[in-house]
Amino acid sequence: MTDTKKRILLVDDEPAVLLTYRMILEKQGYAVVGVPSARAAADALLQQRFDLLLSDLALEEVDSGLKLLESARQEHPDMACILLTGYLSSGIVEEAERRGITLLLKPTETSELLETVALKLRSAYEHQDPQPARP
Amino acid sequence: MATAQMHLQQAKPAGRGEPGTDLVRARAALRLLEVERSEEIPGVLLEEIVGLGFSRALYAEVDFESGQVRPSVSIGCSRQLQQRFVTSLYAADHPVVNVLRSLEPSLLENGPGPRRFYLYPLVFRSINPCWESQRESRPDCLAVENLQHPRGLRLPDQVCRICDMRGFGAVVAVDLGRQQPAAAIGPLRALMEVTNILLSRRFKVEHYFNRMREMDTAIGQLRMVMESMPDPVILTDNQHRVILQNRSAERFFKLPEQVSEGRARAVELNNLLFSAMLSSLAMGSTEASRDLTLIDAIEGEEAMFEAVSAPTLGGDGRRTGMITVMRDVGDLRRADQELRANYERLRATEEAARQERDRLGLIIETVGDPIVVCDQGARPVLMDRLAQRLLGPTDAAASDPATLQNRAKFDAYITAFSFSFTDRQSGKLQLYNPDSESEVEYDVRSGKIYDQRGQLAYTVSVLHDLTAVRKLEQLRLERRMLEIEKFAAIGRLAGTLAHEVNNPLEAIKNCAYLLQDRVQPDAQPVMEMLRSETGRVVRIVRQMLGLYRDSGQVGNVELNAVVEEVVQLYTQQLDRKRIRLESKLKPVPVLVGSSDQFRHVLSNLVVNAMDSMEPGGRLLMRTREVRAADGGRLARVLVADTGQGIPREMLESVFEPFVSTKGERGTGLGLWIVRSLVGNHGGKIRVRSRTGKGTVFKIDFPVVRP
Repeated sequence: MTDTKKRILLVDDEPAVLLTYRMILEKQGYAVVGVPSARAAADALLQQRFDLLLSDLALEEVDSGLKLLESARQEHPDMACILLTGYLSSGIVEEAERRGITLLLKPTETSELLETVALKLRSAYEHQDPQPARP
Repeated sequence: MATAQMHLQQAKPAGRGEPGTDLVRARAALRLLEVERSEEIPGVLLEEIVGLGFSRALYAEVDFESGQVRPSVSIGCSRQLQQRFVTSLYAADHPVVNVLRSLEPSLLENGPGPRRFYLYPLVFRSINPCWESQRESRPDCLAVENLQHPRGLRLPDQVCRICDMRGFGAVVAVDLGRQQPAAAIGPLRALMEVTNILLSRRFKVEHYFNRMREMDTAIGQLRMVMESMPDPVILTDNQHRVILQNRSAERFFKLPEQVSEGRARAVELNNLLFSAMLSSLAMGSTEASRDLTLIDAIEGEEAMFEAVSAPTLGGDGRRTGMITVMRDVGDLRRADQELRANYERLRATEEAARQERDRLGLIIETVGDPIVVCDQGARPVLMDRLAQRLLGPTDAAASDPATLQNRAKFDAYITAFSFSFTDRQSGKLQLYNPDSESEVEYDVRSGKIYDQRGQLAYTVSVLHDLTAVRKLEQLRLERRMLEIEKFAAIGRLAGTLAHEVNNPLEAIKNCAYLLQDRVQPDAQPVMEMLRSETGRVVRIVRQMLGLYRDSGQVGNVELNAVVEEVVQLYTQQLDRKRIRLESKLKPVPVLVGSSDQFRHVLSNLVVNAMDSMEPGGRLLMRTREVRAADGGRLARVLVADTGQGIPREMLESVFEPFVSTKGERGTGLGLWIVRSLVGNHGGKIRVRSRTGKGTVFKIDFPVVRP
């Protein structure tokens, strides 16, 4: 399993953003699944395993990105998470701190994004307990 | 002894010129003159009588005390015989008494035997009257009277009416023996007369001698009295020459033994002054007084006297000179002068105090705020017009209830202050202002004034109508709120815009990224431009998004909480960049404003700091309370970094829009926005920087009074 590409679940309700981010990440060599909503993301999480969840904070509902993450973490406690947000608020920051979620400010510097992704994946990998892959 | 032939001449005084009698007189006179005391005279007389040839004679004296006549000296007389001549002046009929009564000699023929006695009376008689009668020109001196108008020896009469001298009286009895009276009497008579004269003279001399002695004693006593007087006493004659002066006077008017020139002059001067004074006083006839200042020749100081002079009169009533007593009034005078000086000083002080009071009153009246001065018992003693409008008259009770209530409130306040231990106090009083007919909140500032002993003397209170100030503050606050609102509105607009723009922008940026290596080399510059410009837009949008949220809400802001929030927001990023964060937050007063805007300001500064630093840099955040120059309170925030710094030429314009240190990366808006936000809250932002060292931003927010 170590040779396979890392799998990233990308969630954003803006189609253009979703598409372009997917392209960028795939170009980088990741396997990316892009979904336009939190619900779709939740479904995807049930069906597949992912190494990283990269989501916009504001999806169809306010802070739904966070809720998504909560549920994702229940299933996959060790999954790396990055939230994209337009503004920081103390509530979000606290939550992110607690759960070990990385926050990135939109609009992002692409290089910063890529760096953060790589970092997150590496650290998750290093701390990961060996887990049987889902079928 | 020559026994000259003598003729008896009856009742006729021995005349002069008869050779026998002259001789007798002369001889007797000589002997009698040699006598020292009058007591010796009778003895000498009897001897002379015997010398004339008579064998028996006696001298009977009158005792003026008792009136007795008795022989005191006798020659050849038996006791028996002598006894016959003892009698009393008051006896009825005795030859001796008869003789004394008549003051004429007589011949006594008595009893058996050829005894015939010649009796001669001796009394005090003289041609020359006494000195006193001469002085007073009176003719009735005893001596003269006895001579010229003999009235017989009567005791009461034998005192000189003028000089008080008491006379004497005696009878000489001579036994004629066998001599014939006619012959014997002549020489005897002559002898008696001479004896009488000399006896009288002697008597007079002795009298005056005694008198002189008595007078001498009296003078000595008077002198002592004079000397004992502490005041100078001077007796002067009619030419103002000093006859007599006591020791106190000598101090001023007499030259001491070894005398310096100064002292000699002093004495001279004193004498001159004294004479001058006497001359001026001599005009009057009764006691008069004059002030005289002399120089004490011994001490060398001035001595002030009141000279009281009176004329001295002789026995005849004529002026003989002046007696002057000098009363030392130096102390009195000095005391009087001091009293006067003190009085003047008091008056001057009073005047000065009155002027001060007037000036104070004027100042108080022109201040324009109610001022109340109270004493240590918290009772008003001075109030200006305005204070009286509020609290009623100083001394009397106010009449209307509103004023009474005001007064009560003020009394409570000032009493508490008066008895407190603080020197100053300020407080607030809600009083009814009759001019504006409304309740006004007054800011009261009071201070204490202490007396010399450190006890509370007065309190001074100034009341300040805060409504005007309040109004101003209110206006300012409102304006600021308006600004905040405006900004918020604009922010909201910008934010909304940004938000809308954000997503497409994200996509565009991503596309640019994706395209960059798909483009042909000659199109690279274009690509580059696309990328950078897009990046700029991204950053602008980013800053705008910070303003998006409803940042218009104004409320209480805990600055330290905001700082901590911001720090928390960026902790991850700071860690990632390996920037060490140091925050030292001291207590700051609560501010009024928009927390979102505060947050934006701080976030901006933090981001700027982060961007300027390399990994390993330090970010310092500090807050504390400071005092402004005008005494107001400020909340100060410091954001300092160890980054690249801002070049000096840019420092001035760094807060202007579209000025950036980040080159193309910067929007140039960040600090401009920050300054606007800071300004919204009435604050001030300053920057200090050194290239290569770092930058410090300092923001002061005024504490708005709630």
